[in-house]
Amino acid sequence: MTIRLKKNPVDIIFSSITAIASVSVLLLILGILYVLILESYPSIEKFGFLRFITSTDWNPVKGSFGAATNLFGTAITTVLSILIAVPVAIGIAIFVTEIAPNFLKGPIGAAIELLAAIPSIIYGMWGLFTLAPIMANYIEPALQKSIGSLPLVGVLFEGTPMGIDLLTASVILSIMIIPFTASISRDAFNLTPAVIKESAYALGATKREVVKDIVIPYSKVGVFGGVVLSLGRALGETMAVAFVLGNNHQITKSLFDAAATITVTLANEFTEADTDIYLSSLFYLALLLFVMSFIILALAKFFILKTEKGIKQ
Amino acid sequence: MNDNNVKIEVKRLHFYYSCGTQALEDISLSVHKNTVTALIGPSGCGKTTFLRCFNRMHDLYPGNRYEGEIWIDKKNILEKDIDHIGLRSKIGMVFQKPTPFPMSIFENIAFGLKLMGIKKKTEIADRVEKALKDAALWEEIGDKLGNFALSLSGGQQQRLCIARAIAVEPEVILMDEPCSALDPIATAKIEDLISELTKRYTVVIVTHNMQQAARVSEYTGFFMMGKLIEFDTTQKIFTAPSNKMTEDYITGRFG
Amino acid sequence: MTTAQVRKLKNGIALTVCTIAAFLGLFWLIFILWDVLVHGIGGLHLSLFMNDPAPPGIEGGGLRNAFVGHLIITFFATLIGVPIGILGGTFLAEYARGRKIARVISVLSDIMVSVPSIVIGTFIYAVIVKPVGHFSGWAGAVALAIIMIPVVLRTTEDMLSLVPWTLREAAFALGAPYYKVIIHVVYRAAAAGILTGILLSIARVVGETAPLLFTSFNNSFFSANMNEPVSSLTVTIFQYAMGPYSNWHSQAWAASLMITLFILVLAVLGRLLLAWRYGKRPTI
Repeated sequence: MTIRLKKNPVDIIFSSITAIASVSVLLLILGILYVLILESYPSIEKFGFLRFITSTDWNPVKGSFGAATNLFGTAITTVLSILIAVPVAIGIAIFVTEIAPNFLKGPIGAAIELLAAIPSIIYGMWGLFTLAPIMANYIEPALQKSIGSLPLVGVLFEGTPMGIDLLTASVILSIMIIPFTASISRDAFNLTPAVIKESAYALGATKREVVKDIVIPYSKVGVFGGVVLSLGRALGETMAVAFVLGNNHQITKSLFDAAATITVTLANEFTEADTDIYLSSLFYLALLLFVMSFIILALAKFFILKTEKGIKQ
Repeated sequence: MNDNNVKIEVKRLHFYYSCGTQALEDISLSVHKNTVTALIGPSGCGKTTFLRCFNRMHDLYPGNRYEGEIWIDKKNILEKDIDHIGLRSKIGMVFQKPTPFPMSIFENIAFGLKLMGIKKKTEIADRVEKALKDAALWEEIGDKLGNFALSLSGGQQQRLCIARAIAVEPEVILMDEPCSALDPIATAKIEDLISELTKRYTVVIVTHNMQQAARVSEYTGFFMMGKLIEFDTTQKIFTAPSNKMTEDYITGRFG
Repeated sequence: MTTAQVRKLKNGIALTVCTIAAFLGLFWLIFILWDVLVHGIGGLHLSLFMNDPAPPGIEGGGLRNAFVGHLIITFFATLIGVPIGILGGTFLAEYARGRKIARVISVLSDIMVSVPSIVIGTFIYAVIVKPVGHFSGWAGAVALAIIMIPVVLRTTEDMLSLVPWTLREAAFALGAPYYKVIIHVVYRAAAAGILTGILLSIARVVGETAPLLFTSFNNSFFSANMNEPVSSLTVTIFQYAMGPYSNWHSQAWAASLMITLFILVLAVLGRLLLAWRYGKRPTI
């Protein structure tokens, strides 16, 4: 339905105002991109693109900057947290949609959505004061003793467990995105028409078979979109990791080492940047983060829209 | 009535939804082997609720409650310890709207066969072909079994669902208004198919279309407000009903 | 074992694993909330709200400056973000309904909702803090407003779309111009939904830290002057938690508890409002 405006002068003014307000979103995105490119231009000019993303040298004193350590930290924490969070989140979604008794479905679903609203700084601080000691004293030594002695993977669990490291940061990040991922997966599962599930049950299928063969094929694109969306969130998350990652510009072998992500570097160093090239390199990091998250989020949106369309047809 | 011909015997069945409403009140009737039994009545009269008791579909939603007995082959399926999965693999069901699974035509029909534990590829392929032939679909779509099931027309989808139900060779097939979403040509095809099916199966069909009940069934039950008002041969119901309400409904005076 | 038994066994195992996963996930989340509650209550004193911070390492003091500063920043962010969001949503659901531009902006807003908030912080640093020459409350408020706009815009669009088209036609039939139909009929019909969008967008930004780090920065003294650096609870929590003093830690917990409670109340209110009006869950 499109509306043909009659030439009412107030309508023309009001529609123009609303148009400007909505186009502001577009302008903001373009503005952010423009400003970040402009601000990081000195750094782009000096270090280029390939050299910047491959160099591990982050040395404010010498004025030499490379993003590899930050990209490394961001990639490891994001991937690891997704690996932990997705199975748990899908388990929650299956539990809420298919297993839980009716009187529990609503409350658990609502609780998960509320938990998704808790700000990341709370997760970060809890991580610092509660989870990090637990990791350092119990979980990490246990991992070291069990998996740490294995060949190949053992190297991931070397060093002194301090609790301020890649693993703790990833665990907190995963706890933070679980409600979010679970909530989207549940919505995707719920799009499966009840009558299709019923006809599978009518053929004598068990719950597992209905979920595996009907619900998941029906919703996999949507769930995948949700996972990608969570990936985008994890990628850009600052406060949940800032407390427990340390700020160590090194590419480390062990998950028990401190590291740095793009976001943590920005949070810790932005106000301390004392030279123009330092600040410009930080803007360059922000630009990389913005572009990466934008692409990932757009992909996620694409997958989610695709399922919704598919179901409607 | 000859007892040997009875496939399903319903005795004093009451059904209550989890919200507390009583949907069925004191229903007793017998379904005969290799016949079509039609259940008719105005919307909300309980005919679909009744149909869904036979394969314990109501158990998918907690809180629903049955009282009474439904005997299928010397077994009361309303007993607490009934094996739902075994029961449902013996009782096929076809729904109001086509319910193709999100997979290929072949996989749709193979779904139930795989559940039964058939692993041999050749046996599955043979039985898929047979089911499609029985459902009068083989000629139309036999050469595109790999296509996505949702690509079929509505009538073909519904016959695919019938094929899927008969592939596992159930004893009883339940049909819940199987033609209500279809055009007259597709409906005619399905009605022919139903008559064909009685050679091997016992069919219970819910329909709001009285001509359809008259055309396809041997026995008819008339439901109203959760009660079975009258149950008899279709011929008797449509020519000389013994109950005034049945007569009013059949002649279109209400409903 | 027969096939049926194997299937039932597999079913049982799969359901158990899912249930365990669900309880594991919920366990951590409840653990966090409980921890915040226990530690937070320990740090709650009247002085927390009444006093400004004591010098580092000295006992006592409170976070009056941060509470007030946080309120002011959030208030101005709402004042800027909400009208733009509502008007923008109006354009998408009304004047541009069904047009391609509406689809594009709607999808872009969905993406903007999840863009890393720290990037917004760097953007505002470049366009406001650097030209002005110092951190300010305004910079923080604008950064938060930018985060709010897409949230409010999308909920407004959704809520206006839920208003039946016939309602507008009925008003058109009376000869009303479109803007009057929108303001007097559509807005009124969607009021509860729009209010929910506002509540949820406030809940979204009130816990933000990253965009404030280099915009409103921090201020150890009481200041309600938006042209100066203004203290906020979240930045203070970050600073205090990373600091060495135990009374800082306990104040950080208390502040966390207050923020969490505030957000949960807003989120619950929003949901109740929507459930009461539409009988359904919100999508954000």
